[in-house]
Amino acid sequence: MSIRIEQVSKLYQGVPVVNDVTIEIQTGEFFVLLGPSGSGKSTLLRSLAGLTNIDHGRISLHGRDVTELPARRRGVGMVFQHYALFRHMTVAQNIEFALRIRRVGAAQRRRRRVELLQLVALEGYDERYPSQLSGGQQQRVAVARALAHEPAVLLLDEPFGALDAKIRVELRETVRAVQRRIGMTTILVTHDQEEAFALADRLGVMQMGRLLETGTPEQLYRYPATRFVARFLGAANLFLGEVSRQGLHLGAATLAPERAAGVTPAGSEAVLVVRPEDIEVAADATELGAHNFASGTVEALTFAGHQQHVSVRLDELSRIEPATANAASAQRVTVDALRSAAEQMAVPLQPGARVTLGVRRVHALPTPISSFNLMTCSDNEAAQLERSPLLAQLVSSMQARVIRRGEQLEAGICVLPLDELAPTAIAAAVEHGARRVLCIPAGAGVPQRMLVHAGEAVRRADLLALVSSVMRHLPIEATAVTLQHPQASRSEVVETQRTLLDTRAELRGSHGLDLRSDRFLGDLPAWLGSVVAQPETALLVLGMNPTRDLAARLNSEMPMLFRSGGHVDLLLAFGRAA
Amino acid sequence: MSRREQSPGSDTLGRALSRNLLIGIALCYLVLFLVLPLLAVFTQALAKGLVAFSTALRDVDALAAMRMTLTVAAISVPLNTLFGTAAAWLVAKYEFRGKGFLLTLIDLPFAVSPVISGLIFVLVFGARGWLGPWLGEHGYKVIFALPGMVLATTFITFPFIARELIPLMQAQGRDDEEAALSLGASGWRTFWMVTLPNVRWGMLYGILLCNARAMGEFGAVSVVSGHIRGETNTLPLHVEILYNEYNFVGAFATASLLALLALLTLGLKSLLERRHPELRGARAEPGKARLAH
Amino acid sequence: MKPALLRRPRRRQVLPGFGLTMGYTVLWLSLIVIIPLSAAFLSAAHLPLSRWLQILMTPRVLASFRLSLSASLIAAGINAVFGLLIAWVLTRYEFPGRKLLDALVDLPFALPTAVAGIALATLYAPGGWLGRLLAPLGVQVAFTPLGITAALAFVGLPFVVRTLQPVLGDLDRDLERAAETLGARPSVVFRRVILPALLPALITGCALAFSRALGEYGSVIFIAGNIPLVSEIVPLVIMTKLEQFQYAEATVVAVAMLLLSFAMMFAVNGAQLALQRRYQSRR
Repeated sequence: MSIRIEQVSKLYQGVPVVNDVTIEIQTGEFFVLLGPSGSGKSTLLRSLAGLTNIDHGRISLHGRDVTELPARRRGVGMVFQHYALFRHMTVAQNIEFALRIRRVGAAQRRRRRVELLQLVALEGYDERYPSQLSGGQQQRVAVARALAHEPAVLLLDEPFGALDAKIRVELRETVRAVQRRIGMTTILVTHDQEEAFALADRLGVMQMGRLLETGTPEQLYRYPATRFVARFLGAANLFLGEVSRQGLHLGAATLAPERAAGVTPAGSEAVLVVRPEDIEVAADATELGAHNFASGTVEALTFAGHQQHVSVRLDELSRIEPATANAASAQRVTVDALRSAAEQMAVPLQPGARVTLGVRRVHALPTPISSFNLMTCSDNEAAQLERSPLLAQLVSSMQARVIRRGEQLEAGICVLPLDELAPTAIAAAVEHGARRVLCIPAGAGVPQRMLVHAGEAVRRADLLALVSSVMRHLPIEATAVTLQHPQASRSEVVETQRTLLDTRAELRGSHGLDLRSDRFLGDLPAWLGSVVAQPETALLVLGMNPTRDLAARLNSEMPMLFRSGGHVDLLLAFGRAA
Repeated sequence: MSRREQSPGSDTLGRALSRNLLIGIALCYLVLFLVLPLLAVFTQALAKGLVAFSTALRDVDALAAMRMTLTVAAISVPLNTLFGTAAAWLVAKYEFRGKGFLLTLIDLPFAVSPVISGLIFVLVFGARGWLGPWLGEHGYKVIFALPGMVLATTFITFPFIARELIPLMQAQGRDDEEAALSLGASGWRTFWMVTLPNVRWGMLYGILLCNARAMGEFGAVSVVSGHIRGETNTLPLHVEILYNEYNFVGAFATASLLALLALLTLGLKSLLERRHPELRGARAEPGKARLAH
Repeated sequence: MKPALLRRPRRRQVLPGFGLTMGYTVLWLSLIVIIPLSAAFLSAAHLPLSRWLQILMTPRVLASFRLSLSASLIAAGINAVFGLLIAWVLTRYEFPGRKLLDALVDLPFALPTAVAGIALATLYAPGGWLGRLLAPLGVQVAFTPLGITAALAFVGLPFVVRTLQPVLGDLDRDLERAAETLGARPSVVFRRVILPALLPALITGCALAFSRALGEYGSVIFIAGNIPLVSEIVPLVIMTKLEQFQYAEATVVAVAMLLLSFAMMFAVNGAQLALQRRYQSRR
């Protein structure tokens, strides 16, 4: 293991900009951290180099714990976006800097410099000053300088950001070739998806301080786990579909999932991802090679060189629903398709033409949160819920749809106001099939932390799928809590500890996320009491069994939650009804 | 202005007229207010011929004043260079609470009249001041002696170098230092090998201005020096004494020496500005460093 | 609730030297600036208010404040007009000798005040080069408030020019061209387009010139004549009282002046920030 980042968090004014990130990077691997600006990717990289202190976690390089080491003792090579070459030194002096610091003899320094300049294809530039070089050449020197002291790892912070498009591609290839040749473990930070695909052995996508997903470029492109990654790595049509034992249903089409849906249980709603290039456009259904799923009218055609973007407005009869919030006007669902030159030749299109659409591939997101269903008596109440900071944050970062009083309670998440009537309402919702219920008190602030308690016999996979979905979209710390009886026997203590470790391991294994763990001495009411007593707002995630006397149980076991005065949000996950 | 930018017809004529008029006015004003006084200094100094001029400069008291001026500058300029570098490193490289307030405090001496700058040291170290009696008992002399003059001069020139280095270091950011650290350099080595070379011209620029002011300071030094001829007189004070004694040739001869220093400073300054244009904007706007945040 | 397992106290800064530079800066700042300045305030604070009024309300002190303020204000006004004009000419026009003039603008910064003082006094004295020309017109400059104003205008000029120059240089000339294509006359372009953009810098420059003029000593005393009630500026009053060992009185006058200067400084900073915000939000 070359680089091990364990639960690293960095707070800025109390808000985590890097939130419990755990990654392991193999020796010789080229790892790319991809994310929009402000996602925490640069902060994470700088913390590896020791240029930013972290508030929590451990970092080790080649098995050496460097968490406490100052930057100069970490032995990493860092390349900065704006080169950071020393202007008053020649190329040679710049490259030899790290060796001079280490008191390496002149002859050896020279040998190393010649070798490095050859590596980055800048032979003979030794005596130039940085100001006499182009941007691309300067960045080559910066790479050579970072490699001079044979660092444990090479870190590149948006190294091509300040360069022209053409030089960027050229330099990208150089960096990739150099990395391959010397087999250096490398982490590169970028916001450019194309760059990430071109370079990465493996890539991690960051958003709001969380490492959302990691995998090979192909894995992430084909099987994203979140709406964000689906759309950040290229264009994607997101629809609400259904999962059954036969497969994935999208409109008229039923497709076998390419991957075992795993966490998306059969018989429930799912978010389906269809890449534009997986959509086939034909004049009528008989000409389609792929599964026919809808028909519509061509709205716009855009020329893009070797490809053609087609925007098709679906007929209402197609019964296709978008999965994203901003396309909520269900009357006008449009589908984006991408056609190759061959397809354009075979089926010429004009705006306004009637077409039939086929789909070649569908991927279902493993998130249980396909939509938010507001279960309120009045629109007024619904509007109030939508305005609550928690729901607003979730909806905006998930881009999920909000439905008012939807019929299908088993789909997505039911949202209720948290008040004294909530136990009855929750019980009623569960009675009608609801499996996940989010209760938000009036006037609640943004939650400062998230506490997860598995509680009763809910399937851990289900609970973790829900927890990971929420974690990915809230920039707050998450902690898994187990309760332990004060007079617990030794074996019980061990058992509790093991459950916690298993939970964390499973979350990391299947979702790539990490959370804190904590143990509370006492029973459930005592713990809930202590949570309610804290001044900061918390989001409480509890697993429960959907028993018949649910309302009574809620009222008797956790009455404090329903009278908490508005600083506990409650997310309940119920096991499957027997 | 290039020809391309001018509009056709009568407008061109109007523009050329107004342009020449404006240049004319500016020229007149500058000549009248700046060039003429300068000329006056040299003409008056040479009014009685070269011999009188050189005699005045070789006077024992004049030589003592020169020595004093050089001594004061030689102490207070390095002190302020050291301070300016530390303050600039602090302000430019770190984020901390109260930075704006600190910058205001550094700027404070600019808002204080030279006479008051002298007065405050008299109040602390003078015979009737806070430390005066104690100092007197132990045989230390601060006021009406070199230490007082150094203190007053240091106060007056306090912000010069810091003011020059802060915007420069802020503009350069921390990238270079971070690169050096990641390459294994210690804090001191980073400073000597990377930071200092990066700001050396700015520092020289600041030292130049600081020195000009330190050597030319009059009001503050006048308060703390006591005008003891041959002992605590600096060149500007010597000018005043000679002028008040109606020894105009002597006064202007000494003054011409200081004027030459000023011209030399201006020359070097424009030379530096021409080679390093980034230095120019840095100083001009005293509020800039503070507002940059 | 937060697990303590992986938490630890942290080094505050990654770049070394924070403690050292902070300590040194604060120590040196205290020794040279803060302690001596507070000495003045503390000494003055000892005195009862009645004594304060007694010292400040004498006709001589009042007259000196009136003179210092009005002369500085007029000088700042002169510098506003000519400073703007010179800055404009130096940034917008190319002509022979421009670089020389540009360098010369800093002369009042670099020339020791005493030298400027005797030079101006000699020029404007009744027999001097300029005094001789002005005498037939019945204008006497030396030893009158007019002379003081001239000296103060001399020392304040670079503040205005140097503050305006970078702003003028950065001013987007397309703005003027756009205004012209919209049919604005040059005077309108200047008034409505250029001046508003320059205003913050102009105000800062004038305020700096004013504040420098207020405290100016060396270049004024030679030309002022120093006649009590007529041509005696505040710094001179302080100086005179010091020479007569009237420390308490000197201190009170000095503190009154310091308060005035500091109030000026804060007002200017505030005004400048407000103007800048307005200008930026407009864009």
